[in-house]
Amino acid sequence: MINKPYNNRAWLGVLPVLLIVAFSAVIPLMTVVNYSVQDILDFNSRFYVGLDWYRETLQDPRFIEAFGRQVLFSLSVLAIEIPLGILVARGLPKNGAWTSVLLILLAIPLLIPWNVVGTIWQIYARSDIGLLGVGLNELGLAFNYTSNPTHAWLTLIAMDVWHWTSLVALLAFAGLTSVPPAYYQAAELDGASKWQVFRYVEMPRLGGVLVIAVLLRLMDSFMIYTEPFVLTGGGPGNATTFLSQYLATMAVGQFDLGPAAAFSVIYFLFILLFCWIFYNSVMVEDAEEPEGQRRD
Amino acid sequence: MANITLEELSFTYPGAAQPTLLPISVEIKDGEAFALLGASGAGKTTLLNLLSGLLVPTTGRILFDGVDVSEQSGSQRNLAQVFQFPVLYESLTVADNLAFPLSARKADNGLSGSDIKARVAKIAGELDIEHLLKRKPKALSLFQKQLVAIGRALVRPDVSVVLLDEPLTAVEPRTKWQLRQSLKRLQQELGVTMIYVTHDQTEALTFADRVGVMADGNILQTASPQEVYEHPAQEFVGFFIGSPGMNFVDITPGAGDNVYSHHGVASTAQRLGFRPEWAKLVKGAVAPELSKVSWSGTVTLNQVLGTQDGQPVGITTVMGDAGELKVRGPITGASGDKVVVVLDRFISFSNEKYMASHYND
Repeated sequence: MINKPYNNRAWLGVLPVLLIVAFSAVIPLMTVVNYSVQDILDFNSRFYVGLDWYRETLQDPRFIEAFGRQVLFSLSVLAIEIPLGILVARGLPKNGAWTSVLLILLAIPLLIPWNVVGTIWQIYARSDIGLLGVGLNELGLAFNYTSNPTHAWLTLIAMDVWHWTSLVALLAFAGLTSVPPAYYQAAELDGASKWQVFRYVEMPRLGGVLVIAVLLRLMDSFMIYTEPFVLTGGGPGNATTFLSQYLATMAVGQFDLGPAAAFSVIYFLFILLFCWIFYNSVMVEDAEEPEGQRRD
Repeated sequence: MANITLEELSFTYPGAAQPTLLPISVEIKDGEAFALLGASGAGKTTLLNLLSGLLVPTTGRILFDGVDVSEQSGSQRNLAQVFQFPVLYESLTVADNLAFPLSARKADNGLSGSDIKARVAKIAGELDIEHLLKRKPKALSLFQKQLVAIGRALVRPDVSVVLLDEPLTAVEPRTKWQLRQSLKRLQQELGVTMIYVTHDQTEALTFADRVGVMADGNILQTASPQEVYEHPAQEFVGFFIGSPGMNFVDITPGAGDNVYSHHGVASTAQRLGFRPEWAKLVKGAVAPELSKVSWSGTVTLNQVLGTQDGQPVGITTVMGDAGELKVRGPITGASGDKVVVVLDRFISFSNEKYMASHYND
């Protein structure tokens, strides 16, 4: 064994990181946790209320509804964007002059600021002046996303799919380019069908990037705020009010800091939990192999 | 299994000025182990891709048992290929990997589940990988993976030809010979037609019944390993095969070495070629046997490779009036000593014969 010198001053080296993390993450989070257990009337009068705000939030029917909508929205966009993204990626030429052009075109929606995306779709889908809205009405469909909740939902999902499918497609494309040509050649010679090529050649290589894609889209869509805020403002009624928007109304609109803080902590824990469950389920699936790591 | 016939097969990449493959005609017999040997850039891979259906020939035809398959896709040709690195279905077990080519073609081959199982068991037994059947490729060594890949290529009993594209590249040297032996044994037992592409002459010469030596998009000679070694049809073949390769010495009529008149060399010959072991070294400055072709020179390097009857043997480099010559045998004389190189055997070459452009690479 090597005798390592013991020097406490080395801890100083960690200090900058510690400070940055403290100010950027730990302290703000702890402030929120602190708020969530107090009833704050003004700067000078605050009372400790324990877990009251948590209890109240979890029993709040508007929270539960918003949560339900949120889950439905996230699952819907995932169910569309992941398969669609893979499909787009498979359709892209692997190499050639068009590849980079198409990749750049694909990346454009990702580069547009979120409120601009909301505004584009807000105008695009309007039934009085928007190309899509007017077009649908001309076709005989009484489309109006400002009054019809279903239409509002469809518009939101279409917008999110337009905005984010590219991300999945780009990630999946990166995954597909990691498949050596010999694998396709081998599958062809084995007489594999198109589905088998996808299932046994491409999917195993896509696994890693798809986990990332699902995680990113799950977290992002679960936290979506700007686009529905610009597009529908949560309406009609509360039909498209998601968690973050309800939270904003509570914290910034009504200045209910205590309940909003409890809400935030619950929100944060949910996202953490989702990702943890998802990540672990994928990793467990990956690891389960009989006599997996044995070598000889 | 099938007879493979290449008829005037050539290939030029679209837009390229020079053909990558010059018209080639070869016949590979049913059940034969055929090796394509050449340096990189010789056109081996292009020829392999033409055989596997990845490329369509510019001119000429490929026949499998007399049927023109030139325009057919790889899957229609019913062949199998082993690649430079192990190509396996990573999410499937070894057993499923081996069964894949059979089950994917179930509709055509009419095999039942138990037929497939039996065939997989047979191939696994031949390759001695039964204990690996339940594992996933991830849990295998590179050597084992390549064994499985070879198994997958051999599992279809009706396969026309198995192509092997430098299959030992990724395998560590220690296990190379082992894999090569398994391959050779299986080839003989199953009677599969195999085409083995390699730049390694040892692999080609030990594996194949016949070797096609390639250079610059051409097959220079097709013959048994012994034939290409002892009777290279062209200078390049002699140079490329053997380690070190053949020695070549320019000869000029009337320049004093009178090889033309005394040793039966054709009058068109311009060069003599001899293997390092076809010559012996005699100490001194004067040729002892006038009946044999000889050149004098000075020893510049002795490379000892071992001993024989207590005598060091190896390769001696001699610099003399015939240029640099390499002689294999007992080490005679130290560096700087005067010696005579006496030929027991040689081959004469004339200038019309093909000479590879990268002859002295």
